[in-house]
Amino acid sequence: MSALGVGPDSLWYGLLDGRSGIKPLSRFDCEGYLSSIAACIPGISAPHGSSLHDPLLEQLAEQIGDVPRHARLLVASTKGEVDCLENACRSGAPLPKAVLFDAFLEKVSRRFALSDCGTNINAACASSTIALARGAAMIAAGEAESVLVYAADIVSEFVFSGFSALQALSAEPCRPFDQERIGLNLGEAGVALLLSNEEYAIRQQQPPLAMIAGWGAANDAHHVTAPARDGSGLIRACLSAFKCAGINSGQVAAINAHGTGTTFNDAMELTAFNELFADGLPPLHGIKGSLGHCLGAAGGIEAVVAAYALLAQKIPGTLGCVQPEEAARGRVSAIPQDIRGEYILSTSSGFGGINGALLLRGVQR
Amino acid sequence: MKAWVNGVGWVTPAGYGQGRQCPGQPLQSGTLQIPTRKNVFARIDRRFGRLDDFSRVGLAALTFCLRDGNAEDWQEKRPLGIVASSRYGCLRTDLAYLETMLPLQGKLASPNLFAYTLPNCFLGEAALRFGLTGNSMIINRHEPGRLEALRMGLAELAWSDQSGVLAGIADLTPPPELAAEDDLPGSLFLLLEKEQRPDVFSYGKIRLREGRLAFNGEAVDTLLELVAACLTRQNA
Repeated sequence: MSALGVGPDSLWYGLLDGRSGIKPLSRFDCEGYLSSIAACIPGISAPHGSSLHDPLLEQLAEQIGDVPRHARLLVASTKGEVDCLENACRSGAPLPKAVLFDAFLEKVSRRFALSDCGTNINAACASSTIALARGAAMIAAGEAESVLVYAADIVSEFVFSGFSALQALSAEPCRPFDQERIGLNLGEAGVALLLSNEEYAIRQQQPPLAMIAGWGAANDAHHVTAPARDGSGLIRACLSAFKCAGINSGQVAAINAHGTGTTFNDAMELTAFNELFADGLPPLHGIKGSLGHCLGAAGGIEAVVAAYALLAQKIPGTLGCVQPEEAARGRVSAIPQDIRGEYILSTSSGFGGINGALLLRGVQR
Repeated sequence: MKAWVNGVGWVTPAGYGQGRQCPGQPLQSGTLQIPTRKNVFARIDRRFGRLDDFSRVGLAALTFCLRDGNAEDWQEKRPLGIVASSRYGCLRTDLAYLETMLPLQGKLASPNLFAYTLPNCFLGEAALRFGLTGNSMIINRHEPGRLEALRMGLAELAWSDQSGVLAGIADLTPPPELAAEDDLPGSLFLLLEKEQRPDVFSYGKIRLREGRLAFNGEAVDTLLELVAACLTRQNA
């Protein structure tokens, strides 16, 4: 679920059509903030006193259907039910248990009827990329047959005001990799991905969307809120993913970049990718011009898009990128691009200097 | 999955310290004192003063752990990761941030506090101070033994090129309405490394097999047991 609607098809075709979910924000008063737009899930609401995560969870559970009871649960959320925290503080009520991740994990585990109580992974905006990496590693090591990765973050005034205070929000729809980019828009999303080993997939007679062939994570060791300008952490994360998958950069058909639309993030990514792909940058795109920055859920949504892109051999356009940065010229486009190959690299970077990389491989269906 | 335990450091209600200078079990309940810069670093350190309490406690424990493992000083960045388990995360910082945000409709929202409303930010502080380029994350999981970060740290070592992982716990004292009986405020980390080093005498070997941890061949079910076993060996 994202600002482009319910389900992966509406996401995929919305992106291909160049639709934007970034709209005027009515959830709270934006008068004091740098921006008044965000990419919220249309029509989502929660009764007073409950969290927007409740309808999100309900709809995701309905969409994904049966999940094996023994599946391990990895949740990726930066702030969980932060709306409950905000509401309690506004009203002066005692803090509810919902402000703790223990309660959120229990809710997700119960809704999917899992035996595992779950683990939340918090690696800022790389949370779901790292959760997917961890899930894939658990399966590769034989620790689990299947892993449910549940990633969700919502647009809250808490987070919106913070990014505004950090001067990171753009008042206009963001422009990833554009020369005139000035900041990000916040978005919200929820995504549930069921990972499994090959035997399980065969038994279920469910053709997989894609295979997670490689993964990596690394810290910049540079700054808490700013990326390393030389892209060294992202480079290390990608090199780990290449090594894990046993491929070289020449085999990557396309890159699904983090592309927040902030000056420094996008410049850092282009520096890293141009070093990693010294023989020629493959087609590259980012989806935050359509969906905003969905924080902990961003990498999960982007993995779904990457899987669809491998199937279609096409990447969506980068909405908002009118005049690409010189380092991306000819590789980033506002319209969809055809690709050829088996692998897509999907990356995320976040506060705390963390970077995550996934290599998705297409599968015959 | 196995590793050498080469360092232990903490900030808890028992005080602050490191394994090789310790008289007894540091994991205990009680009142947590937030460390000052002077408790942790000998030299002036302006960044430390700007950190929120959660980050100060976590960063201090990581520092003592690296110091204990003779791994505080560095010349080149190194592939060490951090996995910290937390029940309450940066909730106290969230509440402090909300106090700046709620009045005047966000006009006075503190960017400095907001930067620390992601609990993994202190891992970034540690990474940049000590040149740690491995994976770093906060995990939340209800697990009475508090060994989940150790399990994940060992898995990280097995699946990656990281040479070591700092694995442990970090929490502040929670607001009273959320407190649980088994709360352990404070932070404690163990330095797990793939290899023994000639410049440090290892506490011993930790191994994960089928979800169970063993230290020097003896099963351990809780972080308290593991720390006690490390310190007993040190003092033997």
